Amino acid sequence: MTPAGLPESAQVVVIGAGVSGCSIARELTKYTPDIVIIDRESDVADATTKANNAEVHSGIGEKIGTLKAKLNVRGNALYDDFVSGLGVDFRRQGLLIVITPRTLPEEVAARMPRSVHDFVLKQVMPRLIMLNARRKGIPGLRMVSRAEVYRMEPHVTRSAVAGVFDPTYGMVAPYKLTIALAEHSVMNGARVFLNTEVSGVNVKDGRVLGVTTNRGDIRAPIVVNAAGVFADEVADMAGAGGFRIHPRKGASLLFDREETREYVHSSVSEFRVRGKTKAHSKGGGAMPTLEGNLQLGPTAIETDDKFDTSISAEEIQEIFDRFYYLLPDFPRSAMISAFSGIRAPTEEEDFIIGPSEAARGFVNVAGIQSPGLASAPAIVEMVMVFLHDLGVPRQPRSDFDPVRPAPPRFAELSNEERDRLIAGDPRYGHVICRCEQVTEAEVVNAAHGIIPATTMDGVKRRTRTGMGRCQGGFCGYRVAQILAREMGVPVTDMTKDGDGSWVFTTGKKTIAV
Amino acid sequence: MKKTRKPQLAVIGAGPAGLGAALAASGAGLRDVMLIERDFELGGILPQCIHDGFGSIVFKEVMTGPEYAQRFVEEIRRTDVEIMLNTMVLDMGPDMRITAVNDREGIVEIEPESIVLAMGCRERTRHQVMLPGFRPAGVITAGAAQRDINIEGLMPGRKIVILGSGDIGLIMARRFTLEGARVEGVYELMDHPGGITRNVVQCLRDFEIPLHLSHTVSFIHGRKRVEAVTVAEVDADLKPRKETERFVPCDTLCLSVGLIPENELSKHAGIQLDPVTAGPFVDERMETTVDGIFACGNVVNVFDLVDYVTHSAQVAGRGAAEYVLQGRKRQSPVKVVAGRNVKYVVPQFVSDLNRDVDFYFRVEHPERAVTARILADGKPLAGKKHKMVRPPEMLKQTTEALDVSTGEKTRELTVEVIPGGE
Ligand SMILES: Cc1cc2nc3c(=O)[nH]c(=O)nc-3n(C[C@H](O)[C@H](O)[C@H](O)COP(=O)(O)OP(=O)(O)OC[C@H]3O[C@@H](n4cnc5c(N)ncnc54)[C@H](O)[C@@H]3O)c2cc1C
Ligand SMILES: Cc1cc2nc3c(=O)[nH]c(=O)nc-3n(C[C@H](O)[C@H](O)[C@H](O)COP(=O)(O)OP(=O)(O)OC[C@H]3O[C@@H](n4cnc5c(N)ncnc54)[C@H](O)[C@@H]3O)c2cc1C
Repeated sequence: MTPAGLPESAQVVVIGAGVSGCSIARELTKYTPDIVIIDRESDVADATTKANNAEVHSGIGEKIGTLKAKLNVRGNALYDDFVSGLGVDFRRQGLLIVITPRTLPEEVAARMPRSVHDFVLKQVMPRLIMLNARRKGIPGLRMVSRAEVYRMEPHVTRSAVAGVFDPTYGMVAPYKLTIALAEHSVMNGARVFLNTEVSGVNVKDGRVLGVTTNRGDIRAPIVVNAAGVFADEVADMAGAGGFRIHPRKGASLLFDREETREYVHSSVSEFRVRGKTKAHSKGGGAMPTLEGNLQLGPTAIETDDKFDTSISAEEIQEIFDRFYYLLPDFPRSAMISAFSGIRAPTEEEDFIIGPSEAARGFVNVAGIQSPGLASAPAIVEMVMVFLHDLGVPRQPRSDFDPVRPAPPRFAELSNEERDRLIAGDPRYGHVICRCEQVTEAEVVNAAHGIIPATTMDGVKRRTRTGMGRCQGGFCGYRVAQILAREMGVPVTDMTKDGDGSWVFTTGKKTIAV
Repeated sequence: MKKTRKPQLAVIGAGPAGLGAALAASGAGLRDVMLIERDFELGGILPQCIHDGFGSIVFKEVMTGPEYAQRFVEEIRRTDVEIMLNTMVLDMGPDMRITAVNDREGIVEIEPESIVLAMGCRERTRHQVMLPGFRPAGVITAGAAQRDINIEGLMPGRKIVILGSGDIGLIMARRFTLEGARVEGVYELMDHPGGITRNVVQCLRDFEIPLHLSHTVSFIHGRKRVEAVTVAEVDADLKPRKETERFVPCDTLCLSVGLIPENELSKHAGIQLDPVTAGPFVDERMETTVDGIFACGNVVNVFDLVDYVTHSAQVAGRGAAEYVLQGRKRQSPVKVVAGRNVKYVVPQFVSDLNRDVDFYFRVEHPERAVTARILADGKPLAGKKHKMVRPPEMLKQTTEALDVSTGEKTRELTVEVIPGGE
């Protein structure tokens, strides 16, 4: 539960309840319960962490020598341990990297005789990818012939030349993971304060003293800055900045599960060498989400607004155009949703992780753009070294509870299990979201969770209400009414996603404006 | 272990289609009919359609949606049809096994001898018509808004822009206005209204609500709640023309951009769907491609008149009874082709030509002074003159015992709309 008032002090204050902040907090609670997590949004995972592609990359796309590459490879290796006990799904479905006649930039291909180009595509490119993986220590890659590409993924373009399969690549639901991490932290003593904005970091004589928020001050000898796209501004508050984050928007499309289940089996990505730099352009991919929806994306567009999560018609078109080549028959009309998130790149395009010299006790976890989700376990490992040095006990707690119980998901249970649940609580027999088959009991659970859902989107992230093909047309008012009842407030107080996002006007009759 | 239920007929959905089918089946002699509905009451979408315009064909009087539904509700209460409310069908397999759930019995397994599908349709959403912009609160489909206002007593907004001029959008423009909200305008992509003329007059003109044809919403503004939309005229390819963009402040974007038959269960049961109607292929008894599974109402195609829904339901209900009681075998079906200026026809197949058949069809584009007719291997069978035909208005034409009247084996039926009429 979110306690009413802020505490006067804590050993560590973590600014930002995204995947970075929550995974650091959870690790900290293994050593000390005296942790406070602060976020200005109405829920955890309510910024970039809720709007990304959910990929746990192997690290194949990152440039050798960067911190991103190192932490991504390490993070991927740690992922099974990282999620164990959290009750969230993580699936290593693998990534099929497809080499096509577009793999080399046109200007390069044009300079080669046809037979050479064919040879390069078929023989050289796969080996380059394998070599690249070996140098970064990514295990398990294997070359895949053209015929095998089609056996694995029959919808891939007939122009495919060859492929490489990257088996350690996986997917995880980022907001579910983050909610679970936050709840696990709270179970072990941490406190989470939402709707709480940090406006200042208090530093005296080169030492951090704590933070100032819109709801009061907290004293703390250690402050972790995991503020996502705003990490540069928060670092400046402590005089620990000096870097700039330039927001980069990315949009993705989601398709109806009923029509796209098993459309692709692993994630599929077209390998394209970028014109000048020859760096592997990640270029996104086609991914089957854990729930079985096809996802396409993302785009990459520089923006000057850190809140600009809009999607333009051009962006949707760009994704369509890109994937028409790789997957010529993808079911365009089955699109059910489009969303976008903001990446947090620095000028150097790398993570900035480390303690500040200017303000002792202040630790930056900044520039956490993609692959921030995949790297999370390794970011935690790296940050913990600094945090122990700053005074977090090195001795693990004996009373740490390693298991966060996940509430049941009706849709995923056998009929016998469902019957048992309904016998105990008839609200499990009342399906309120028809597309995702979510029951009333699950909404009630969300409203009374360790980190309770207080908004329609909060319920959606915990239960999947409104995430299906009708996008909440059917369940909207039902969710609002159940949530309001459980919160003990009028239904007209309900919001989609916090202050300002009202769902109903107060009172039925209104005055013409 | 719970006992598997084995009724003669299970009807899924208790809107006018399900009610009509259950009643017809019961009337035709089935004693063990089960009507399964996920909502807490009977009637489907009708209880929220509190405007009038229902029943002019079936009851020869003008009634509201709830009144129309009530006639069937009262009638079904006098039969021995078993009504299961608050019960959602979760799945249906190719072997006709139905899995349902409710809060009294838990999981209910049903193995009926026959099934009528009557799940209705759902509304198309913003992303299905690819509306760009932010994703704030305040983007709502017209049917959801209708439910909020008419059943739940909740107002979803104050200053409304409506996209789409289908009948539900038009009805909601009036409804919002009557409830004190202000409707800034109705915007329609096509160059003609999507709804029937009567609704354009009675819902927009009478309330001085502007209708902007050949327009669309090109951007949704507002990070938390809708603050405005950008609207624009569209070109010949229906793409917005940048130079015509206008900024329209509002707090709600209400979408009436089409209905899609709700066929997820049908797909699981292995029933083949018509890509044009998005509903199952059916024959003249409303039997789908799976023997013993019938379908009627909006799950088959979006009928705009509830009276036609009822007619199709009666055919399906009787068909199911015949299937169970007489073990009828299907004859090899004859294909029904959509000919000149016909978008689609229901039924898509006719298996038994020795009976009267109702054909429902829609034109592709508006046309004046036409004849709509049905041909058997090129020979005209039945026809009707129309002053004006328009895509929103479904046409119905009945033929009588075809093979008897033609006296020979028919290979193909065609429905066409040709110039020349009144
Ligand atoms: C389109 C897209 C696709 C991506 N796909 C992938 C992928 O597939 N795999 C992958 O590994 N990575 C991916 N990423 C990157 C990944 O999403 C991020 O690296 C990760 O979510 C960053 O998490 P975070 O916790 O650092 O930041 P955030 O999730 O942004 O959390 C920061 C939090 O700090 C809070 N905050 C900020 N300022 C303040 C303040 N002053 N006071 C209080 N709270 C504050 C914010 O409200 C926010 O909740 C993708 C990113 C985008 C945009
Ligand atoms: C929002 C909306 C407004 C409309 N307004 C008008 C109007 O003003 N005038 C007009 O003439 N027509 C209107 N129509 C068309 C109207 O739908 C038809 O006239 C008629 O109601 C269709 O009847 P139906 O029985 O086929 O479908 P519905 O009335 O939609 O009934 C389908 C029923 O099936 C149930 N169901 C679906 N799936 C399951 C399942 N898995 N398990 C259990 N039960 C299930 C649903 O809960 C519902 O009760 C409207 C349609 C919609 C969607």
